[in-house]
Parts: sequence; structure tokens; C-alpha cells
Amino acid sequence: MATESKVNKKKVSTYQIVQIILGVVFGGYVVWRLYQILIANPVYGPDTWLRFAIAGIILGSVYALVAIGYTLVYGILHMINFAHGDIMMIGAFGGYFVFEALKNIQTPTLADPKLNFLNAHPVISVILAFVVGVSVAALSGYFLERIAYRPLRNAPRLVPLISAIGASIFLENAAMLMFGAQRRDFTNPLVLTRGEGWEIPVGGGTVILTYTGVLTFVLSIVILVLLYLLVQRTRMGRAMRAVAENKNVAALMGINVDGIISQTFILSGGLAGAAGVMWGIHLGLVYYFLGFIPGIKAFTSAVLGGIGNLPGAMLGGLFLGAVESLGPAVLGIDFQLKDVLAFGILVLVLIFRPTGILGEVLSEEKV
Amino acid sequence: MKTQLKSSLNAGITFGIVSLFLYLIGFTTTASQIIQNLLKLKPASTVLGMDSLTFSFALFIGLIGLWAGVNQARSQKGQPFGTVLLSAVLTGLVHGLIVALAAYITGSLNASGVKMNTYLSQLLPASVKLFLFNQTPVLGALSQLAFLTLTALVGAAVTYGLMVSNVFGKLADAWRSMWKQVNAVPAIAKFRASPYFSYVMYSLLLLVMVFVPLRAGQYWNYTLGTVGIYVLLGLGLNIVVGLAGLLNLGYVAFFAIGAYTVALLTSPAPHGLVWNFWLVLPLGILAATLVGVLLVVPVLRMRGDYLAIVTLGFGEIIRILSKSDALTWLTGGPKGVNNVGGPVLFGWVFDDVSYLYLIFLSVLLAIFVTRRLQNSRVGRAWESMREDETVSRAMGINILKHKVLAFAIGAAFAGLGGVLFAARNQFTGPEDHNMMVSINVLSAVIVGGMGSIPGVIAGAFVLKGLPEILRELENYRVLAFATLLVVMMLVRPAGILPASRRKFEHENAPGNEGSKQ
Repeated sequence: MATESKVNKKKVSTYQIVQIILGVVFGGYVVWRLYQILIANPVYGPDTWLRFAIAGIILGSVYALVAIGYTLVYGILHMINFAHGDIMMIGAFGGYFVFEALKNIQTPTLADPKLNFLNAHPVISVILAFVVGVSVAALSGYFLERIAYRPLRNAPRLVPLISAIGASIFLENAAMLMFGAQRRDFTNPLVLTRGEGWEIPVGGGTVILTYTGVLTFVLSIVILVLLYLLVQRTRMGRAMRAVAENKNVAALMGINVDGIISQTFILSGGLAGAAGVMWGIHLGLVYYFLGFIPGIKAFTSAVLGGIGNLPGAMLGGLFLGAVESLGPAVLGIDFQLKDVLAFGILVLVLIFRPTGILGEVLSEEKV
Repeated sequence: MKTQLKSSLNAGITFGIVSLFLYLIGFTTTASQIIQNLLKLKPASTVLGMDSLTFSFALFIGLIGLWAGVNQARSQKGQPFGTVLLSAVLTGLVHGLIVALAAYITGSLNASGVKMNTYLSQLLPASVKLFLFNQTPVLGALSQLAFLTLTALVGAAVTYGLMVSNVFGKLADAWRSMWKQVNAVPAIAKFRASPYFSYVMYSLLLLVMVFVPLRAGQYWNYTLGTVGIYVLLGLGLNIVVGLAGLLNLGYVAFFAIGAYTVALLTSPAPHGLVWNFWLVLPLGILAATLVGVLLVVPVLRMRGDYLAIVTLGFGEIIRILSKSDALTWLTGGPKGVNNVGGPVLFGWVFDDVSYLYLIFLSVLLAIFVTRRLQNSRVGRAWESMREDETVSRAMGINILKHKVLAFAIGAAFAGLGGVLFAARNQFTGPEDHNMMVSINVLSAVIVGGMGSIPGVIAGAFVLKGLPEILRELENYRVLAFATLLVVMMLVRPAGILPASRRKFEHENAPGNEGSKQ
């Protein structure tokens, strides 16, 4: 390997030259913009920057959760689970319906005769919402694999991808027909009212650290740590890694490959479901198309961090959230174009470093 | 016996979930209305003591019940009559139980005045009542249970009879022997094998294309035009996906470039450039081709599925840019561009018929180009690249050049389609270019058969023409596409009219003989 890379270093192809030129131009522009907005003529105070950063990191932690699902599935089956974002949508609807149901249960007390279950027991309500959202999403993940992917395990590569696209459109439209096309308000318990939180004075203003945001961030970090331990330390995790490395050998070692793949889909579906409930609690709207854009962005995060690489997906998610939130301000472009920025980042990463920031962890044969 | 029990239970649960799903998406009501219309029943009339809509609904749910029975009988092939009936009854019972439970719950909620349609938008009181055969919840649920069990039993019994007597097998044999006799006539066999056969077929198609627009009327001309434009797009994507094997999910980007080129250069609104359509047409194609080349160069070295997601991103970028405030001065923003100029030839303005001819002419041109390309050195290089990049590189094929070429030609077709689309509608806006266009075109290519020209035409008709004929099913169209995509991949991945080489490939896929864990 060492001699090979030496040989490669000597010949610089035109492609690499173009890469370097593009990199220098882009990097120079970013540095110049940073100088402009931080030192030369500051548009935003430090409080605004902090606000952007917090919003970005919270969003990023949701992306990270979804990205993990992509990475797990890609690591094992080498396919993009296109319907993953829609499973997140299903999870969000699960949480929404739990809150709506609990809202209608009256638990009157002397102090407040109009009290409902949601406000009387917010902790139980939130836990219930997560349990239902996660289980519904995990179940959909399981059936998705059984119906749309398993029969195509050995088909040419384009076939399962197209089936996945079909499944994604199916889920979106089924949700639209069942629940209607309108956007619905996700009613939180009063304790978790959106936009309320701890006020931190910074610079000239105050930054609000919202309760929903903190809940989202802390919960995703806890889930991510647990997941990492699950994959690295448990028997199931070891089996998953073995299947990702080589299915045939894993089968010879006595691993039930189909079972492990099912478990992977259940796990990734559950993570997407949790992300969906968080999305609802933090951002407050559920609708049938909710999963599409976060799905693509989460895939971008997974690629950013290096596909197949769990810490990479987490890092990629946080990075993408931060870029999306800080980027428009730094680069001086319209905030409407933040999605363009996310896709732009994806393209740039794939051009300059297709293996992602931390490098991909894939078995050699498939790469 | 145990396996049969399990299979009956499984089938019952599956059918139960399907019926429940159809109920939740409101399809039961729509289907009943369609059946009512088809049978030409008057809404006020009564049939067999039921009003006509309820009767239509009974027919519909009965069909599902029958299907469950037929399915069960077929899966129990070779079993004694008693076992078949028993397993069908079990399936019907489980199916009926699930449906009856759903009917009872929704029915009693409905009776107590709960407005379910605030959460489940299709469960309108009328739909719920229809699902209960317009009875009380208990009675309705019980009649669902009885009806589904009965229909399953009948379906299984009839299927058993048909299987034992082997009616269909005999019919198929008769058909086959007749076909053989026809083919045995030397003149016919010779004609079918000769190249003139396809020429005759194409000229028949041409005749239809010339005469149909004159008789069809404006609405159908419009629909046929849409189908034609989708054929054009499909042929372009067919080159990229079907021949070169590069999955492009952002195909709509090139369509949008073509549409916006013609819109901005011929419309008086944002720029006041009122150029001639015939001058703008090649410009639109050129612009789309250029963008295609520019987009593909950075992504050339990517793996197939990365390419899919990046092109998807590109498609979205173009759409977001076209409706963003930052570019409103250029593109007209979210409102789009109105008064797009149409073609005028020597002072004669094209009406719907002549415009349809223009579309057909473009389609014929595209078919010609595709056929010539497919059988040329370039086409063979694409197909070999699709099969194995490394091997084709070893064979001396310039991979980068051929990938760029495939993308550029695909983009050119899409650009032409975009120009024709915008000029016909005299309008273009960001929502004309959403991701569903890419998905629809991809579905047309895949459903028809990747790499095959008749396949693409058939696919475009199925995806764009059929929904116009079945207008009542408007709401369920996209859902049906999605189902079709998945089912197609599971059952017939090569498409309806597969290309000969693809068909061979799918039948001999390397995985088929590989170890299946």
C-alpha cells in the first residue's frame, strides 16, 4: 500500500488540480466572509451567533439520530434505505396521536378543574409518546424490510433502490390519504411550551435555551451513546458488525443473518421514530411530507461522516445542523437557501472526500 | 396441518390489514361509487333490499373476500377438498374478524358523535356507515364477518372446482396450439421474422398518431400531449438509467432548464425578451445539455447510489433556486412565468392539433436517435459500462467520456421536453418541476422496461394516460404508482416490455444461483 500511494503522489491529475483550485477559491471566500462579518463590519452580535449555533446543534442531533439509521442499514445491505425519512414521519405521527389522546383525558383537580392528563403528568405523557412513536416506527421498519427489501436481497443493485423509492412514496401518500394533507400542530404539555426556556444573557441580548431543545439534544445524545455501546459491546452488536463485514462468513459462524438484518431495521426504525417524536415536540408541526427533507439531510450527514461509521454519522449530523444554521449568515446568502447549502455540502464532500470526514467503514468487496 | 393453519392465519391477517388499509384511505367508498357508476345504478334505486351504493360496496368487499378464498385455495393446491374449505373458512374468519372489529369500533364512535375525520381524514360519517352496510354497529360488524367468511368459502370452493377440472390449463393449451398453428403458416412466420414487421408496426402507430388528434378533441389532445412529453422524458432517462446504468433522480432539473429557457426568452413579463420560439427551441436544448455536462463532471467518480442522492439534491437545488427570493429578478420567483410564447410558422399559430403533431414529431425524432445510438458503438459501450465498469475500462472504453455523453444526451431530451411543455402550457413555475416529475419519469422507464423503447412508451401511457381515463381514482394515483414500483421490482424487475438483453440478464442474475441465507 505504501509504495502505491507514493506512485500516486507523483502524478497529479487534472481532476486533482481542479479540486485544489476549487478548494482554495471556496476556502478563501469563507475566510474573507468571516473577516467581513466578524471584524470589518459585524452584522450580528454574539447573542445572535449563539442562537444560530444552538438551533443548529439541536437540529443536528435529530439529523444524527436519523443518520445512524442510514449508516446501519447501508453498512449491512449496501443500499440507501430511501424510506427511512418516512419512517421518521410515522414516528412523529405516533407521538402526535398519543399527545392528542392524552389531551382528551380529563383529570380534574380542585385547583384546576380543566386539567387534562397531558398537563397533569407531562413526564409520563412524553415517555408514552416516545414509546408509541418508537414502536410504531420500529414495526414499520421491520415490515418495510420484510415486504420491500428482503425478496430483493440478491437482485441487481438498482432494483432494491427503486423498490425503496417506491416504498417511500407509498408511505408518504398512505399517510396523506389517512391523516389528510394539512399540517397539524403538535400540542405539547404546558411545561414543554415551545419557545420557552432558560434565558441566558449574552453580549447585548439574551439567548433562550428552550426546554424542548434541551430535551431533544440530551435525549439524542443519550440514545446515541446507548446505541454505540449496543453495537460495540453486546452480542447482537457484534453479530451486526460481522454481518456487515461478510454475510456468508457470518452465516457460517452461526449468525442468523436474516434475523440480524431484521433487527437492524427495527433498530434504525426505532431511532428514526424517536427522531420523529423529537421533531414534533421541538418544531411543532407534523404532516405527511415531514420526513423527506430531513431524510435526505440525514443521508448527507451519514455520507459526511463516512458511511458505515457510527461516530461519523453523529458528527456529520451535528456538523450539518450547524452548517445549515450558521452557513447562510457566514456565507451571506438568503436563509431560504439553507437547503441548497446542505445539498451543496453533500456535493462538495463527495467531490473532495468521498469517504467522509472520519472515513467509511465498509467491507472491502463492496466498495 | 400445522403449516396449513399458520398459512391460513397469515393470509387472514394480511387480507384483514389490506381491507383495513383500504378503509382508512377511503378507497372502499370510492370503489363503491365507481362500481355504482359502472353498473349504471341510480343512487336512489334499491337492489336486493339495499340501496345501490351499499350494494356496490357489498360487491367490492365481496370481491376482496372472494380473492382471499381463491388465494387460499391456490396456496393449498393438491390438498383434499375438506382441508381447502377449512383453511379458506379460517382465513375468511380472521379477515372478517379484523374488518368487523374495525367496523364496530369506528361505527360506535361515529354513533356517539365523535368526529373521526379530524384525525383520520377519510373516515367521514357516510363512509363509516357504508362500511357497516348502513346498519347499527353490532349488526354491521356481524354482517361483515359473516359476509367475508362466506365469500372466502365460495371463492375457495369455486377455485377448487376450477383447479380440479383444470379449465384454465385447457384454455391456455388451446390458445397456445392456436398460436402455434398461426405461426406455422410459412408466410406469417416469415413476415414476423423479417425487419418489415417492425416497420409495419411503426407505420400503424404513425397512422394512429396522425388521425387520432384530429378526432379526439382538446382535452384528449392535451392528455396525449402530456403523454408524448413524458415519452420524450422517458426516452432521455432511458439512455441515462437504462443504457448507461446511472441512476439519475434529479432528471427534472434539465426539464426545468428547458422550460425556463423558453419561458424567460419568449415571455414579455420578467425580461421583455420576446424571441421567436424556433430560435429558443435549440437554445433550450443546448442550455439543458450544458447544465447536464456541468452537473455530471464533478460526480463522475461516484458510486451508483451516491450519484442517485446527489442528482436528487441537484433537482431540489434547481427548484429551490427557481422559487427563491434571491433569484426572483431572473426567474419570476414562486409565481412562475406567464404568457410563454408558442410556435408560429409563417404567420400561422399552432393550435392544439398541430402542437400535438409537433410533440409526436419530437418523440419520433427521439426514438430514431435512441435506436441509432443504442445500436452504435456508443450504445454498446454504455451497455458494457452498465454491466461492469472495470471490465469495460479494460476493454478500452473511455468511461468518463461515455458517462458525460449519456448525461448530456439525456439532458438534451429533457430540455426538449421542457421547452415543449412550457410553450404548450404558456406557463412555467417552480411547482411544475418538483421531484414527483423525476419519480414519474423514472417509474415510466422502470415499469415499461429499462433500456427498451416500446417499454418506455407503454410505461408513459400507463403512468400518464391511464389516470386520465380513471379520473375517479385521482387521489389514489400516486399511491398506486408507488405500489406498482415495489410490486414491479418484486415480480418483474425487467419491466412490462423488457429489452432483450435486460431480460436475459435478470433471468440469469448472478445472485439467483448464489447461496441464499
